[in-house]
Amino acid sequence: MTEHKIETPKERLNRHKAMEASAVLEKIKHDYKEPPRAMEYFYDLYERVHCKHESLHSDKAKVGTMCIQVPSEIIYALDAVPLRLCNGFYTDDEIGSDFLPSKSCPLVKATVGQFVSNNFSDKPDVIISPTTCDQKAKSGAIIESMGFSVYDMEFPRTKESHESREYWRRSVRKFTKDLSENLNTKLSKKKLKESIQKIGYAQHLYHKLNILRKNTASPILGKDMFLVTNAFFFDKIDSWIDAMKKLLEECEEMVEAKVNAASKMSPRIVYTGSPPIFPNLKIPLLIELCDAIIVADETCSSNRMFNDMVSVDEWFINDMIDSIADRYLKGCTCPIFTKNDDRKRRILDLVKDYKADGVVYQAFAGCQVYEMEQRSVLEAMQKAGVPILYIESDYSPSQSGQLTTRIEAFVESLKNRKRRQQ
Amino acid sequence: MKKIKDFINKADIRRFRFWLQLFFFVLFIYGGYFAINLGNSIPVFSCGYDKEVGGMCYFLPLQHQLARPLDVLFSVASISVLIGFVTFLLWFIVFNKAWCGYACPLGTMQDWLTGLRKKMGIRFSTYTQPQFDKLKKIKYLMLALVIFAPIGVGMGILGGEWRTAFCEICPGRMITPLFVGDVSQWSLDFSTKTAMILTSLGLIFTGLFVVGSFIKKRFFCFFCPMSAMHYIFSDAALLKLKKDGDKCTKCGDCYNVCDMQIKDIADDVKSTNILRDDCIFCMKCVAACPEDDALHVDILNMKLFTSTKGGFAKRMEMDRLEKKND
Ligand code: SF4
Ligand code: SF4
Ligand code: SF4
Ligand code: SF4
Ligand code: SF4
Repeated sequence: MTEHKIETPKERLNRHKAMEASAVLEKIKHDYKEPPRAMEYFYDLYERVHCKHESLHSDKAKVGTMCIQVPSEIIYALDAVPLRLCNGFYTDDEIGSDFLPSKSCPLVKATVGQFVSNNFSDKPDVIISPTTCDQKAKSGAIIESMGFSVYDMEFPRTKESHESREYWRRSVRKFTKDLSENLNTKLSKKKLKESIQKIGYAQHLYHKLNILRKNTASPILGKDMFLVTNAFFFDKIDSWIDAMKKLLEECEEMVEAKVNAASKMSPRIVYTGSPPIFPNLKIPLLIELCDAIIVADETCSSNRMFNDMVSVDEWFINDMIDSIADRYLKGCTCPIFTKNDDRKRRILDLVKDYKADGVVYQAFAGCQVYEMEQRSVLEAMQKAGVPILYIESDYSPSQSGQLTTRIEAFVESLKNRKRRQQ
Repeated sequence: MKKIKDFINKADIRRFRFWLQLFFFVLFIYGGYFAINLGNSIPVFSCGYDKEVGGMCYFLPLQHQLARPLDVLFSVASISVLIGFVTFLLWFIVFNKAWCGYACPLGTMQDWLTGLRKKMGIRFSTYTQPQFDKLKKIKYLMLALVIFAPIGVGMGILGGEWRTAFCEICPGRMITPLFVGDVSQWSLDFSTKTAMILTSLGLIFTGLFVVGSFIKKRFFCFFCPMSAMHYIFSDAALLKLKKDGDKCTKCGDCYNVCDMQIKDIADDVKSTNILRDDCIFCMKCVAACPEDDALHVDILNMKLFTSTKGGFAKRMEMDRLEKKND
């Protein structure tokens, strides 16, 4: 007789999350043209971490970050690992709903939900909450009230002024000092330089792969790119780099052989807005199921995370820290900032550079800043004659019927436009 | 062609600049020993008080010329003044402010002091933005001194010791001759009260020059009247520092490396011509920009050196992984 075990609530939750993750993984793996072989590593990684709850960093201090503004360079230099806590699980979103107003952003709810269920394959030892948008800033406090250790890292909401630069530089210096005390490790010049260069190298690889997507026959679909960049949230950086190198090599060969991940008439899309985070890759997956291809994006779960690189003039600790601070503030195109001009310029440049046919703008229902900036981006695109589709979405798996219709219609219109232009 | 371009864009501009600066330093300071004479209209501080100078700073002859009585100044005799000025312009127009970044001996010396500081592991200091905005005006006052003091002498308003008033206070006069073993400039002129004041100011400025540029990158260039003079003509120059604002992410990397703290280089996404009055055209910003073609140096509208992702990664040693530290 087999022993009958009663499932604990935590186990049940894990099972639900595993089901959610593996359903999406199955789709990603099988519903599209054959992906590059090197993607296997990433599929497997998600399976290990999100379905089997394998821990990757049991030997290291783990620093959870609520947003990309927390400098990973410093965390790595202090011998810890950064883990980005932005969460894409519908299961967690539902749990978080009890703790936040019902109209809150699903990403924030899901992040809080994960802390409610206290369910991590790698549990962060300390949580860094940069005070970016209101919902994130407040949820930091909510998480703290659940007994987790949360550090508020003060972040300015205007980025043009000299004062904001100074303010943020001071914030980053303080963060460095406090984290180093918290982790009881001293920051060395050598370590910091090494970690700047290592992350720079990871970025360099990402850029090289990205450039390949400019080809008319792009070797890789956007859904795979999101998987690759999302993996940077939690993977061991060295393993990520190795996998990326292999993927890059393979994609280079594919370009050489003119292999196209999409079809010849597939409209090329620039994706922007609220960040698609595994397993909520709903919109990118729909777009590419409708025979379009995402060739570039402007989101903090992908391109924005890798885009700007740290540049140092003199390799002294303070100088390096200031340069790091600037990279996180100055180049960032997040809509939480007072002005959205940089973001519009960036999207337009991507459209031009990647010869895109249209833009898809996703805003999570409840994410005020992305919803608010929708107008300004739409205006800018219309002025430039770039077709754009605005979609509001959440984490629930239910609305996909209606969304599919809208995306299909948009992709069809882009195709028609393409035909006429030819 | 593409290969050559790629080679240039990935070049280690620091090293290139170091050697070029050394070359010009030797040329200007010791040129006389090799019978080299590039004339006396050089658009940077290659000091005429150095007996072996290989080409002379334009300010020395300019001040002498302007100090003539007005009727002489506006007569046929001024053809020589005009020729001097045209020669200055010709030198300048080709290379623009790159004279500052690559040829000026006084600029080079400041970079060496910076190098020394770096070797000693001391961090540089910077001005705050309001300080900077105030200080940068001084160079126009200095330029006014260069031009109006001698004219005042010519008109008989000022005494003869004002003839080369700027040279009296310019650190170039005391420092440059040192390199050929000449210390004669290190003295106070007691002949008149004005001369005494001016020469003591010279001593003070020289001291400031050495200490200042040890702490602050290109300390003196913020106040340099030559730089102000350059700026007046720089629009006509062939070599240009250009920016494509559409490609710029405002990341500030360029601003970070800029010795002259020029904010526009990062923040201004509207101007295409991004050369500002303080700029020394060192091209460090182009080398530090991680966006393809956001910043570039053009000659006659041809891209000579442009920012590239690959070049950035190479210069920052990010294009390969040194070793694993896991
Ligand atoms: S949208 Fe902005 S605040 Fe939110 S996670 Fe991304 S970068 Fe951070
Ligand atoms: S003292 Fe200064 S201004 Fe005068 S010639 Fe020498 S370098 Fe030029
Ligand atoms: S600005 Fe500096 S480099 Fe240029 S002429 Fe003046 S001292 Fe020389
Ligand atoms: S380094 Fe380049 S991308 Fe960054 S602010 Fe300067 S010009 Fe713009
Ligand atoms: S703007 Fe560029 S070229 Fe000019 S001084 Fe600054 S770094 Fe040098």
